[in-house]
Amino acid sequence: MVTLRNGYIPETLAEALKIRSENQVVPYAGGTDLMIKAQPSSYLFLNKLSALQKVEQDGDMLHIGPGCNYTMLLNHPAVPKVLKEAMIRIASPATRNRGTIGGNICNASPKADSVLILYASDAELKLSSIAGERIVPIEEFFTGRGKTILREDELLTDIRLPLKGLDDYYYYKVGARRAMAISRVAFVGLLNTENGKISRVAAAFGAISDTVLRFREFEAMLLGKTLAEATALKPAFLAKYQEAIVPIRGRVSAEYRKQVCMNLLADFLNSNGI
Amino acid sequence: MTDTIRFRLNGEETESHSDPSARLLDVLREEFLLTGVKCGCKEGECGACSVIIDGQLANSCMVALGSVSGSDVMTIEGYSKTKRYQKLSEAYAEFSAVQCGFCIPGMVMASEALLSHNPHPTEEEIREGISGNLCRCTGYSAIVSAIKKASENGEGLW
Ligand SMILES: Cc1cc2nc3c(=O)[nH]c(=O)nc-3n(C[C@H](O)[C@H](O)[C@H](O)COP(=O)(O)OP(=O)(O)OC[C@H]3O[C@@H](n4cnc5c(N)ncnc54)[C@H](O)[C@@H]3O)c2cc1C
Ligand code: FES
Ligand code: FES
Repeated sequence: MVTLRNGYIPETLAEALKIRSENQVVPYAGGTDLMIKAQPSSYLFLNKLSALQKVEQDGDMLHIGPGCNYTMLLNHPAVPKVLKEAMIRIASPATRNRGTIGGNICNASPKADSVLILYASDAELKLSSIAGERIVPIEEFFTGRGKTILREDELLTDIRLPLKGLDDYYYYKVGARRAMAISRVAFVGLLNTENGKISRVAAAFGAISDTVLRFREFEAMLLGKTLAEATALKPAFLAKYQEAIVPIRGRVSAEYRKQVCMNLLADFLNSNGI
Repeated sequence: MTDTIRFRLNGEETESHSDPSARLLDVLREEFLLTGVKCGCKEGECGACSVIIDGQLANSCMVALGSVSGSDVMTIEGYSKTKRYQKLSEAYAEFSAVQCGFCIPGMVMASEALLSHNPHPTEEEIREGISGNLCRCTGYSAIVSAIKKASENGEGLW
């Protein structure tokens, strides 16, 4: 371990957790969010910790190390296509070479493109400290814009992504231009059927509220239904979202972004024959 | 406790005594006087500050000095001593791909990063490779042609 006058460079995760528990530090992964402000800070540099840069498949569960940068994940065969599609649209090669998925999560922006996919796919996060670890569903991690339940002594150490049923997806990111565009609205939908009945619906909206939005209670309306039954329920289903989605004001008008959300949701159903 | 960060800079072992949370961009320009590394935005948007860290393109404005401890950092100053640079330089000249020149050090580093991972890029791959590098003068087409030409003329170098 290297203790700097201002900052720490741990060599192992155990060292990192110990430093984290004993000092006021800011975890530093790729720096692509932190360095926008570049305030003098006592950083805990995580970027050389190989323990946080692994991708491991365990049956239907993919464990993604939060320290993996986008370039690593885009090149990894086990990373599902839907996640790759979101990551390839993030920034430019230079930013993707350093920006990490863990930083995207912990920065807690509602525009975080990888977080949107993790929401829809029911991912869980492992938070570790020297006292122990806890595993939380990604929705419970965020409490607001830039706010999470991460404690001062904890680090995000694993992202658990259930791989089943991610092949049939609908994803759309609306940005101002092709390269380097931050999401104005981003949407992902997953719909799986089993024996002719809908076994999973997930619809998540990014960049419109303080956190990613997902409404499990509305999704439940379609569960167990045939596509024909779902089609009959479609107006009622869309009406729920029409009522619930209230985009907060941004650079682009709330009305515009709401309309885009509704169009994408309807198109997602359409593309699944509903 | 130490105030020394060690890394390789343009092939030489070196150390810095700047604050570990300082931008690598500022350290390169102010402590090492490597002013080929340009500053256009300090927000990761323009690519003028591009360097190559451990073989990967990076915007040095978005990198804290402490994170390159033990790494290999290459700037345009080091790269310009290589044969690959010669090929890129000739091709950029051939297509008049340089106007004011401000974006060019970053563009060249992005070109190198692209070709070192993909020696025969398509036009689309070239455009993607330099998509984080803004140029307000050339309209990009001459730069794209220059990179294509360098990849052909430099056959075997990358
Ligand atoms: C030009 C530009 C374009 C961008 N475009 C996009 C885009 O299109 N879409 C998008 O989603 N993002 C975008 N971003 C934002 C950024 O690149 C991503 O959010 C990136 O994933 C952040 O990762 P990082 O490793 O760089 O995070 P860092 O800056 O290192 O850290 C971000 C936050 O996470 C915390 N943190 C990091 N790792 C851990 C950990 N293991 N445990 C606990 N806390 C941790 C840090 O303390 C900090 O608060 C862009 C950024 C730039 C500069
Ligand atoms: S100065 Fe670093 S990207 Fe613009
Ligand atoms: S040549 Fe002037 S910015 Fe590119």
